[in-house]
Amino acid sequence: MATKITSNTKITLIVLAVVTAVVAILVLTNRADTRSTAASADPGGGQPTVPSSVLVRPDSHRLSTAADGKVTVVEFLDLECEACGAAFPGVEKLRAEYADKVTFVMRYFPIPSHRNAELAARAVEAAGQQGQLEPMYRKMYETQPQWGDQAVSHVDTFRGFARDLGLDMARFEAAWNDPATTARVVADRTDGTALGVRGTPTFFINGAQFAGRPSYDGLKAAIDAELAK
Amino acid sequence: MSASAEAGATPRAEPEPFPARLLPWLLAGGGAIGLFAALVLIIEKIALLRDPGYVPSCSINPVLSCGSVMSTPQAEAFGFPNPLWGITGFAVVTTIGVAVLAGGHFARWFWLGLQAGTLFGIVFVHWLIGQSLYEIGALCPYCMAVWAVMIPIFWYTTLHNLHHGHLPVPASWRPSVQLLVRYHTVVLIVWYLAVALAVLQAFWTYWITVL
Repeated sequence: MATKITSNTKITLIVLAVVTAVVAILVLTNRADTRSTAASADPGGGQPTVPSSVLVRPDSHRLSTAADGKVTVVEFLDLECEACGAAFPGVEKLRAEYADKVTFVMRYFPIPSHRNAELAARAVEAAGQQGQLEPMYRKMYETQPQWGDQAVSHVDTFRGFARDLGLDMARFEAAWNDPATTARVVADRTDGTALGVRGTPTFFINGAQFAGRPSYDGLKAAIDAELAK
Repeated sequence: MSASAEAGATPRAEPEPFPARLLPWLLAGGGAIGLFAALVLIIEKIALLRDPGYVPSCSINPVLSCGSVMSTPQAEAFGFPNPLWGITGFAVVTTIGVAVLAGGHFARWFWLGLQAGTLFGIVFVHWLIGQSLYEIGALCPYCMAVWAVMIPIFWYTTLHNLHHGHLPVPASWRPSVQLLVRYHTVVLIVWYLAVALAVLQAFWTYWITVL
């Protein structure tokens, strides 16, 4: 009996060890390239910050721009993510209050498991080509409960949004399905991954990742602290 | 059933194999974990119903999120919240485990009843795993606790019923049954790994940013 139990345990452990080793190798080889540019401790001391050249690209969407450029808030967001939708009203309120004092930058981070997240991001990007980025962005969040967390494609829903905004539909469709639009959205996400973004929404305030819950009060306190510096 | 009567009547002094001895502890412990998880889920569900803006304790990020899983139609597969199955089912499982530990002996039909119940549980749980991974695209930690206990509860109940002949098997299959009893944790670990790998694969882009 003793030897029987041993062989069972032995095979179990071997199976476990082999699979764990294979997975570990896969993970290590895959993250090696994403880690190289990730957040590193700022040599000047203080909170770790991320390189600003990656955080805000020249083509990144600035929803508001500060006159003095003193404080920059960057949000990596997924239009389908519930937590992002929950943070949205607070962000809108802050943008209204700090209209010319704080720069707000919106960056796409569609999570692949969200069926319509990338489609929505592309729709926002395509609307942006007709100067309607912000209205589309707002519409996506305001209507999120209607289309979020569903396993069906919402191409028609988003097409309806474009029509509601009075977009030139032919131009919208062309931009929406343009591989360059997809590349633009994916490039944002790639930057996010490189900066160590793990989920959405992830906020960076002057290059430092915001750690608390992204509530209105939490973000406001962090922004005020930066403004006071 | 002559096969089972024969197996039950064999007056062998051989001790109960480990998997059969493990079963009552597993039913009691695993049942308690499942019961706890189901209770938390229903409490969170009620909180969510009271206040639609409520963020459940287990909604950590877009991938680990009870909130988004709870508000799907799959969370009410039979028209009412799934955790109600868990509360009733796991309470019974826990009680059976404790009863056996207290020296209880049960008739064959009782064990077959547990077999039917755990069979329903395991099928349901695997359907939920599939929905969570491939349709909903989010994981709910307490639901995963239920997955984790349901697999061994079903597996060891089945082994117990096979070993004691409650589940009739042709005499020619007997050696295979003994092999399964002997290599019980191999089956369990392969089962667990299959689920774990599916979870890993489905959320690969998320895991490599976290790990």
